[in-house]
Amino acid sequence: MSRATIGLATAVALAACGGGQTRSSLFSTNWEDDGGASIGHVWDRVGSAPIPESADVVVGVAGNSDKLIGSPVGGGSKWTFAHPLDARPVVAGNVVVGSGGNEVFALDAKTGSVLWRRPTGGIPLLGAGDDGSVTVVTFHKAGGAGSVLLAVQRDGQVVRQIESDRPLGSPAVLGRLAFVPWAGEYVSVIDLANGDEAARVTLRQQTSRAWTEGGSLWFGELGYTRFDEHIKDASKGKASTTNIPARELPGSPRLMAPGDKSLLPVADATDKVRMYARPRATESGAAIEDDRWYATYFRLAMGFGAEKGKLAWVRLHGADFVGGAAAAGGVILCDEQGKVVELDAKTGGTLGEMDLGEPVKSCVVNVDAQHLSGTPEDAKPLTQQLSEAVRTDAPELVSAQKLLLRELAGMEDDTATKTLVDVASDPRTSPDLLGDARAALANRRNGAQYMEAALARHYDFLKDVLRAPPVGPIAEALGAMKQKSAAPLLASHLLDPADTDDDVKQAAAALAVVAGPEQLATLREFFGMYRASAPNDDISTAVVSAGQALLTLDDSGVVAAAAKDETTVPFARERLEALVAAAAPRPPPPDSGKKKKQQKTGPATP
Amino acid sequence: MRAGIHASVALLLVAGVLVAPVHSAEAKPKASADVPRAVPLPADTLKRLRSGDVAQVKNALDDVRTSAKAGAPAAPAIGELLQQGLSPTLTQAAIDTLADTESEAGSASLAWYAHHRNVELRRAAVQALARTRGGEAVKVLRAALSDPDPGVRGLAATGLGSMKAKDAVGDLFVALDHRVAEAAASIGQLCAGNECDRLAGKLGSVPFDVVTSGLDQVLFRAPADVSDDMKVKIVGRVRELGTGEANRFLKDVQGKWPKTWSARVKQAIDQAVIATSGSPGAGGGSQ
Repeated sequence: MSRATIGLATAVALAACGGGQTRSSLFSTNWEDDGGASIGHVWDRVGSAPIPESADVVVGVAGNSDKLIGSPVGGGSKWTFAHPLDARPVVAGNVVVGSGGNEVFALDAKTGSVLWRRPTGGIPLLGAGDDGSVTVVTFHKAGGAGSVLLAVQRDGQVVRQIESDRPLGSPAVLGRLAFVPWAGEYVSVIDLANGDEAARVTLRQQTSRAWTEGGSLWFGELGYTRFDEHIKDASKGKASTTNIPARELPGSPRLMAPGDKSLLPVADATDKVRMYARPRATESGAAIEDDRWYATYFRLAMGFGAEKGKLAWVRLHGADFVGGAAAAGGVILCDEQGKVVELDAKTGGTLGEMDLGEPVKSCVVNVDAQHLSGTPEDAKPLTQQLSEAVRTDAPELVSAQKLLLRELAGMEDDTATKTLVDVASDPRTSPDLLGDARAALANRRNGAQYMEAALARHYDFLKDVLRAPPVGPIAEALGAMKQKSAAPLLASHLLDPADTDDDVKQAAAALAVVAGPEQLATLREFFGMYRASAPNDDISTAVVSAGQALLTLDDSGVVAAAAKDETTVPFARERLEALVAAAAPRPPPPDSGKKKKQQKTGPATP
Repeated sequence: MRAGIHASVALLLVAGVLVAPVHSAEAKPKASADVPRAVPLPADTLKRLRSGDVAQVKNALDDVRTSAKAGAPAAPAIGELLQQGLSPTLTQAAIDTLADTESEAGSASLAWYAHHRNVELRRAAVQALARTRGGEAVKVLRAALSDPDPGVRGLAATGLGSMKAKDAVGDLFVALDHRVAEAAASIGQLCAGNECDRLAGKLGSVPFDVVTSGLDQVLFRAPADVSDDMKVKIVGRVRELGTGEANRFLKDVQGKWPKTWSARVKQAIDQAVIATSGSPGAGGGSQ
């Protein structure tokens, strides 16, 4: 069957239901901005109407995308519903709406029982809204651009059908008014009683979704705009809005999927790499619940401060997250194994767990009234969380690990240094991460005890220590910290052939700062062995640093001799000459003897 | 893993370093007219070594090498040169020269170069230390068993055997377990009592030719050094394998067994050869 035929079949099927057909100038771009007058009237009409709570439910798509598993959040029996699916199901109010097998269906979100079914001809679901009595569903129109909007009562009767060439977004319903986002910037209010466009509002931020949550009606995609008394000023940019701050995140996650694009029943990477937040109505307009927003990156979950986007916690999970929703008090996330976790907003600790009973292809979580609370037993300090996340051997997480490593590098406590040492020392660390870890380690200025413990290790074939510690960055850090207690350890690495040339260079540079008389023998040994046989500039530089240390320790003879000897490698010799010259005592000024005499004999008289 | 250790042994076979057992009763050098007389060290050698002139230093090193052990008086001066630093070419020459002097006076300087970043110099220094000997040399060679370079590890293992460093047997067993094949022969040269038995116990877990490179050494050590009981026990261990390679090894031992040595051990070898001659891959009857 061709797409055009399907579209026709759809129209016929829907018309046969007896609902009102609307083919008008709805969603016209010839509309003139009324300065918010019409939407202001709508606010006056329904603004004080109570908004019913939506279901708190997790819905998983299982099997071969032909089975729904519902599990109420906060307790209740699981339900299942077998039906082929051609799009991701949607939770609207207390209804789960799905499409597939040439029909659209609505289930009671709490029980999974069928409320109604309507034939569609096979067009996939975009979004849905429900106000407790009527469900408004949008579909992607067959055969190209354009959409179909269907309003269905609880008894299955179609009360309104609208076809449009415009791509419509995911709608909401309030007081039998459908709020339909479209063209990325408009929300048209359709009076379901007559099919007329009762109002329209122009928003200043990308918007393709409308929904009710926390007793308010919201519009958004990239951020949140609240339907309140300020909505009439939306076109002037004065609506009540809230957003999450821009910050670097791995995989460029999105806050919401575009409402005018149908989501496949099987989750993809964009479902695993997501942001979640919950808008909250405030006296002044809108804010982010709990001052927290969340992000997932495959099996990592992260919590961020709402104001500045500062990382608050990170949590490593056993499987990839494929769906979720922010709630009051935390976030609920669903993984591809069908496990659902409730994570504390403040700490990322576990507040609750559920199990859908089998792996899922995708997962939809809807939370409205449920408030997550309790004291998580597995809450850990952020440094420890970061350490676990960064040290996990998981190549697919490297992008996130790099970011988390930078977070770790910015932390002041000593244990962050320990983690950086561990990451930089671990042979399993990804090469992509290793460079960052070493750079971060070089910039540390605390945790010297962990660095010294690392330096105590050397490559040792018989003891199965097959990787040298990150000597270079540790030496840089210890040198900058002027950590004299590290001098013997640094000296031992000067002579370790298993260390890299750069490691040796950095160890020598640090010794130029921290070496004491106890290191003289090692410095002489290194200087003697390499001053005429340094194979490259790194080792030549190390020779110069060793020479500098020897000069500082008043052992200038060997350095002065090397600076004059033609067999000394040229790179080192030039620099040693300069060092020796700078260290040489300056000849006294011609009249200094006279002055000394004068001082001894008292101030000179004019 | 086995391929690696086999390859290592093959290299040694080619080099003729390890597998020639120390035939204690026959290997003692005889003072005879065949032994070349030492070339005396030229009088100005030390002066040339300390000249600071590269050509003269090189020339002096050549003279010391020619003098071999007789060049020992120059060892301290060569050690000083190494400690002051030389070009890579002269460094190599100085290390090799110190080795030829076999003077313990050179060990301290050679010890430096046993952890030089240039692996060729490191190998040369380890080889040289095995000849200059001394407590410092043993210490350095034991440490060199853990070197990142397999060549250095192997040379260190060999050196410890040739230096009779009995205290290093424990380290050599660890090295053998870490696929340092050269350790087997050294263990064979150094082991006492249960240590030799422990080496034989490696049959089956360590490649046959690696273990037998050590057992060969044990069997041909002087009767005063290794008891006949131990030798019979080792022969029995090999015999128990009942393989063609065991038969070939035993036949080789049989062929080399000194006529004046223990008849009891000889009998055990003969019987073992017969017992294993029917094994797949065995080369036929006894000699």
